[in-house]
Amino acid sequence: MSLAIPNGLDNSVEQPGERAPLVLGDTTYHDITEAVCQVAERKPSTSWVIGFLISFALLQWLGICILYLIYTGVGVWGNRSPVFWGWPIVNFVFWVGIGHAGTLISAILFLFRQEWRTSINRAAEAMTIFAVVCAGTFPGIHVGRAWLAFWLAPYPSLNLWMWPQFRSPLLWDVFAVSTYGTVSLLFWYMGMVPDLATFRDRSVNKWRRMAYGLLSLGWSGSSRHWMRYEKAYALLAAFAAPLVLSVHTIVSFDFAVSQVPGWHTTIFPPYFVAGAIFSGFAMVLTLMIPARKMLGLENLITIRHLDNMCKIILATGSIVGLAYGTEFFIAWYGQVQEEKFAFTNRAFGPYWWAYWTMVTCNVISPQLFWFKKLRTTPWMIVAVCIFVNIGMWFERFVIVVTSLSRDYLPSAWAYFSPTWVDWSMLIGSFGLFFTLFLLFCRLMPVINMAETKSTLAKQYHVANDGDH
Amino acid sequence: MSENNEKKVHGVVAEYTSVDTLLSACRRVRDAGYVKTDAFTPFPVHGIDKALGIKPTVLPWIVLGAGLTGTATALVMQIWMNTIDYPYIISGKPFLSLPAFMPVAFELTVLFASFGAFFGMWALNGLPKFSNPVFTDPRFDRVTDDRFFLYVDSKDDQFDQGGVEKLLGDTETDYVQTVVDDDSSDKVPKPFFMMWGLVVGLSVIPLLIVLKMRVSNSSQPRFHVFYDMDFSPAKDAQQYSTLFRDGRAMRPDVPGTVARGEEQADLNYMTGINMEALTAIDRPRAERLVRRFNPYFQGETDSAEDAKADVAEDAGQGDASGQGDADQKTQGSEPESAAAAAGDDTSETTGSESTDTDGGASQPAVAEEKPSVMDTTPWLDSNPLVLNEKVLADGRRNFGIYCSVCHGMNGSGNGLVNVRAQKIISPDWIQPSSLHQETLYADKYPDGKLFSTISNGIRKMPGYSGQIKTRDRWAIVAYVRALQLSQNASIEQFKDIDESERAKVLKEQADTKKALKEKADAEAKAAKEKADAEAAKAST
Repeated sequence: MSLAIPNGLDNSVEQPGERAPLVLGDTTYHDITEAVCQVAERKPSTSWVIGFLISFALLQWLGICILYLIYTGVGVWGNRSPVFWGWPIVNFVFWVGIGHAGTLISAILFLFRQEWRTSINRAAEAMTIFAVVCAGTFPGIHVGRAWLAFWLAPYPSLNLWMWPQFRSPLLWDVFAVSTYGTVSLLFWYMGMVPDLATFRDRSVNKWRRMAYGLLSLGWSGSSRHWMRYEKAYALLAAFAAPLVLSVHTIVSFDFAVSQVPGWHTTIFPPYFVAGAIFSGFAMVLTLMIPARKMLGLENLITIRHLDNMCKIILATGSIVGLAYGTEFFIAWYGQVQEEKFAFTNRAFGPYWWAYWTMVTCNVISPQLFWFKKLRTTPWMIVAVCIFVNIGMWFERFVIVVTSLSRDYLPSAWAYFSPTWVDWSMLIGSFGLFFTLFLLFCRLMPVINMAETKSTLAKQYHVANDGDH
Repeated sequence: MSENNEKKVHGVVAEYTSVDTLLSACRRVRDAGYVKTDAFTPFPVHGIDKALGIKPTVLPWIVLGAGLTGTATALVMQIWMNTIDYPYIISGKPFLSLPAFMPVAFELTVLFASFGAFFGMWALNGLPKFSNPVFTDPRFDRVTDDRFFLYVDSKDDQFDQGGVEKLLGDTETDYVQTVVDDDSSDKVPKPFFMMWGLVVGLSVIPLLIVLKMRVSNSSQPRFHVFYDMDFSPAKDAQQYSTLFRDGRAMRPDVPGTVARGEEQADLNYMTGINMEALTAIDRPRAERLVRRFNPYFQGETDSAEDAKADVAEDAGQGDASGQGDADQKTQGSEPESAAAAAGDDTSETTGSESTDTDGGASQPAVAEEKPSVMDTTPWLDSNPLVLNEKVLADGRRNFGIYCSVCHGMNGSGNGLVNVRAQKIISPDWIQPSSLHQETLYADKYPDGKLFSTISNGIRKMPGYSGQIKTRDRWAIVAYVRALQLSQNASIEQFKDIDESERAKVLKEQADTKKALKEKADAEAKAAKEKADAEAAKAST
């Protein structure tokens, strides 16, 4: 427990010709093991128990709502003609977007050799998987007869005598999201095996040792194993990187391939991907800042990590802002009457409040990160990130609802209002997400110990250069 | 070390505290000629493969194979499913549209390649393997924490326990130990088996229940999970309903409703034809008309001709009968045949006429050679409605709604649709007739014939029997007559005007004619002057 060494170093300052340390304090390999393992080994803190109970209660409420929905029918939602893609799809796109940061941090930053990712990638990957679980729930129940959702799979059916329609973006979406979920899970689990072996080797309880022993598959740390493991990890990262880009691209096809004004635009794929990374990083920071404080991991998840993530939020937030502007420009420049109307209606129609909430949260608030003071003050980062999360939810709401509620036929226009079930499911999905995340914090290694140790080894190497 | 001699020796292991000491020890062991060696580290140590002489892995090739399998699987699957076995027609696109198959092909490539990397890596590493001799050493637990171990296997050709121990002892280590067989039980603990058995057993139960139900019969009624999906709460005819005070699920018609096919008016009024006269000259056709307008008619039928006529109707009057279905209010007690026949009613006399109508009207020359049925039909000569201001107002209103878009508000045949068609030079457009031509006056085009044309259509004009009520179609006929009169009446037609009024009208008429002529002359003159001026300009 030698992380009591005060965090005296500000590693967010760039020293020319010198790499800023990514692990602070006089940390040794063993300190890293201790710091990470104590999170799972000590008794749960009161704040953890309270948080878990609240999340678990919300999760139960989500389950009750889903049963109520399945038993009664989708009429319990606010989805009415012409808005048949109401909150369930808004929530789906929102959660899929959240799920983009994890694999981006793991894969793309790994390929670019951004070593600062090592202490945040595990939690971010876990977040990705839990977000994909939340996301997958919504289309599953949105199909109406949830017990027939397996019809989405291309299996030889003796009842239907037919196959899925592979030219539909909705089917591409099934493949994209399930592939993404599976590959993220493999990536996350594979990265965790050496750390689970650490948990196994530190366990004193026989059952705990057996459980972690099974999960760690008999990992021994052999160099031959490590070599293949690193190769496999690099390959998975290389696949996951284009996969991250493809998932939200395909989600955006759900909209862009249709002909609804406000959806039928070619800017959607890059715009959705940027938005997804933006929201994902905001969610990572929203979770990590309280977690690093509560779990005592300030020397591993340092100010520099937060600073770097804020810069990514600033960059992607600016891309998103530019995309909003481009949409309006193209609507005007294209001179298609319906498109022009769709965008005027977004900003000044009945949903103006949603649109301007979105602009305030997504375009204006990340610009605050130009100030270094804000990027390095944790509570301010959390405040901005919560705004970004709200804004990104509203972005999906604006896209889905405003476009559908007023499309070509004015006689079919209607105003969308959510029901209590819509609200409950949105809040309940946060319950699902936090339940899984809090369980993860208790049971799994929240930081990639092996990689952090190798970062530390390099740090030693640089410090003692030439003396081995 | 010597107390372990009774057990089988797997190898010798030495512990190091840093990467650098481990690496130098590795080099020494390699240089001493040992091949079956391994290092155990808490994190991947770079350069150790060279220090130990580890060969590169074949994993990338496995992954490449898996990825290509994924691509092929996705393409074959999609092409088989959507092009060969169950071709979908989507927006007229080709059945084999590769661009649309790319997203799934990409996803499956990534998925299969990832499976290849994940499972291939574990397989090459020989994991999962829960029993490993190196785990017997209690100090080895720190290999996943902060210690580094170097291991020389006894299977190595050069292996000699004393020599290896000495070699390792010379490196920077405090701890050298032989690795011996694990003497603890290698049996899986019982509770684990019980748990596993319980999980498998429980998970098989639903499957067994389903299987049993598939093969057995039951006298119990079916269990309905979603009752209202199996039994719709919507009521059938003749059922009881608590919603209404009279308890009937079927609602009686709103007072004044006339169901299609139940209109109890005489056929002259419905068809615009003098049926008595038609019966005298063309009995089968008269009977067909009677059947069409009265489904209960039980006369002789000529089924073949009838069927042919029906086909002609369907071809010519599809849109009109569609409208008719929407309008009609079928009574619950009405026999089904009536409902089926009701669709035909809307097209009225078209059966034998519509095709002839086209020929007769658009090609008058042909019509002269062989008198068309339009000419031989004994049309009603006068409007059966009692003409009054209300009838004319209704006629005017309906003319404005239905007719004016083509024929124009004044009936000159230049409505907005025509203007637009002329503007875009629509190739298949036939200009709507001006209602002010002499051939359409009452003496050449009787009221009954005009009514029939409105009802059944002519050339490009569709029949309006489905959209305009019979009475209103007659009102339109009356209004068209009034329109014709408004544009082409001569003063002689008005016998009861006193002389002063007549003189005034004649004078106005003459003045207007004169003014029009003057205007025309002035315009002609101006045009000529302009032309001359331009010619002069051109010559200079």
